[in-house]
Amino acid sequence: MHPEIVLQALVNGVLMGGVYSLVSIGLTLIFGVVRIVNFAHGEFLMAGMYLTYWLWVLTRLDPVAAALVTMPVLGGFGLLLFRVLIGRVLGAPDLAQIFLTVAISLVLQNLALLLFTANYRSVTVEYATAALRVGGVAFSVARLIAFGVAVVLSFLTGVFLTRTDLGRAMRAVAQDREAAVLLGIDPNRIYGMAVALGAALAAAGGSVIMPYFYVFPTVGASFVLMAFIVVIMGGLGNVTGAFLGGLIMGVAESFGILLVGGHGGVMVGFLVLVLVLMIRPHGLLAAPKG
Amino acid sequence: MREAPVAGEGRLPGMLSLPRLLRGLVLAVVVVGPWVLPAYFLHIVIMTILFAALGCAWNVVGGYAGQLSLGHAAFFGIGAYIPTLLQVHWKVSPWLGILAGGAVAAVAAVVLGWVTLRLQGPYFAIATIAFAEVLRLTALQLREVTGGAVGLTIPYLGHRPLYLQFEEKVYYYYVIAAVLLVVVEMVRRMAVSRFGYYLLAIGQNEMVAETVGVPTVATKVKALVLSAVMTAVCGTFYAQYIYFIDPFSVFGLGLSVEVALVAIVGGLRTVWGPVLGAMVLRPLAELTQGLLGATYAGVQFIVYGGVLIVVILMRPEGLIGGASRLYGRLVGRFGG
Repeated sequence: MHPEIVLQALVNGVLMGGVYSLVSIGLTLIFGVVRIVNFAHGEFLMAGMYLTYWLWVLTRLDPVAAALVTMPVLGGFGLLLFRVLIGRVLGAPDLAQIFLTVAISLVLQNLALLLFTANYRSVTVEYATAALRVGGVAFSVARLIAFGVAVVLSFLTGVFLTRTDLGRAMRAVAQDREAAVLLGIDPNRIYGMAVALGAALAAAGGSVIMPYFYVFPTVGASFVLMAFIVVIMGGLGNVTGAFLGGLIMGVAESFGILLVGGHGGVMVGFLVLVLVLMIRPHGLLAAPKG
Repeated sequence: MREAPVAGEGRLPGMLSLPRLLRGLVLAVVVVGPWVLPAYFLHIVIMTILFAALGCAWNVVGGYAGQLSLGHAAFFGIGAYIPTLLQVHWKVSPWLGILAGGAVAAVAAVVLGWVTLRLQGPYFAIATIAFAEVLRLTALQLREVTGGAVGLTIPYLGHRPLYLQFEEKVYYYYVIAAVLLVVVEMVRRMAVSRFGYYLLAIGQNEMVAETVGVPTVATKVKALVLSAVMTAVCGTFYAQYIYFIDPFSVFGLGLSVEVALVAIVGGLRTVWGPVLGAMVLRPLAELTQGLLGATYAGVQFIVYGGVLIVVILMRPEGLIGGASRLYGRLVGRFGG
């Protein structure tokens, strides 16, 4: 195989992987803090994409700039969802937690189908086909921007978690709920904030990929499956693990497509997932729990 | 806890009791009813029975053993594809195909069981999603064999019972009703067997079950195999009844969720819960789809999701508890 093709696949994989990282960090944050696996996480991304699309159609707002709108809107939606529904199943059996978020996902997906039909929609920005060439390898400008924004937001999330009071409180709750309560942290407020932040990050991911990705009602499903793989690889609740996992899965997917074609990317992803789960049932970076 | 209605309680004078009368009436309706039912309603009944059987099969793993599978479409799809492929490529009768589909599903269940042995709760659910997705993508990818996204159409041969093909819907009804009877009877026997109690113990607390000597690994794999084979048989029936399959409709996550829903809404760890769940959900889905689906796509799944949310928040034990209390009260009033 030509080395340039391999290099191109690597570049494409890393650029896509950045977005996977961003979406996965949101998912892993919600799990780490609230202890709930959010099966509706992909729908935050989907909603962010539709919002970005309509902002572009109605006001010609650039999709990347639209993240400034979609993040607070979806953040607020996440908070609402927590207050009204998700907050009620904290500490409930796995069944209630899993199927509540599955039900939310089902409703949101089909609400989108009802409102926007199953048609694939996209925006056409001027830089959609622009690319920088280095040697024989092309760097798509749209993908480069998406990757850049994703990495910056991931970094800022890391800074938020380690340097601010609210972020530290989140980590405290994630580490030891009871101890955090004893220190005067209101866990319910923190849970709501974590879901809001997770939703906002997914929405940002949705916005930045709009210049080169279609939106349709079930678009979140493929992203959330990838995010699950990433999050399990990195260890549920592990933000650094999710960031690295996202990049790894982006590259794995890219090479899967190169070698198998079409659907090879996701299949490679699942095979990696199965392997990881067999070797480490609690994820690669997470400490095994008793 | 469970107020099970006991047959024979609350007897009327003579041999007639309300439960017996009810049963006779139900039997008559079940046998004769389909002949007079309009085709559209008969279709709803057939789909309801199909999902009742699927829900019962899921209940073995998801209910009794407490392993929340979101990948049962994997087995359904195997049951749909294997016999259809045998039939399309080599003209093998689906009656033999059912055996092949069941065997492949059993092997797949052992593989899945082996991979997911140590996984719990959400990890198990995600791994089962991944498993079904891999099969769906494989079916999409192997275009020369499976037709890819276009799907497979089963050739219509006319009225050929030996090929599981009938001119009239009512025969399909008898076939799937027989499947449901067998599945319910198996689950009913399982529930009161040593194996059934092992499953319940695992579902309650796997570590404790292991400690007191339940062979958890073997029991879980056995449950998965049993459930997979039942699900695959339903998949074969579906393919033969609809005459068309494609990767999305038989391997998709949506199907896995619907199957689990039937059991959860009806009542987990009960023999009749999934049947009740299917009787509530399936007509609801078919009717909303039929009445509103043309103008408002997706509306039936919004209803589904809504029902699921309400059941989880208000009545996590499912509808069966309320239904059996109602039955008990009814029997009590008329009989006593």
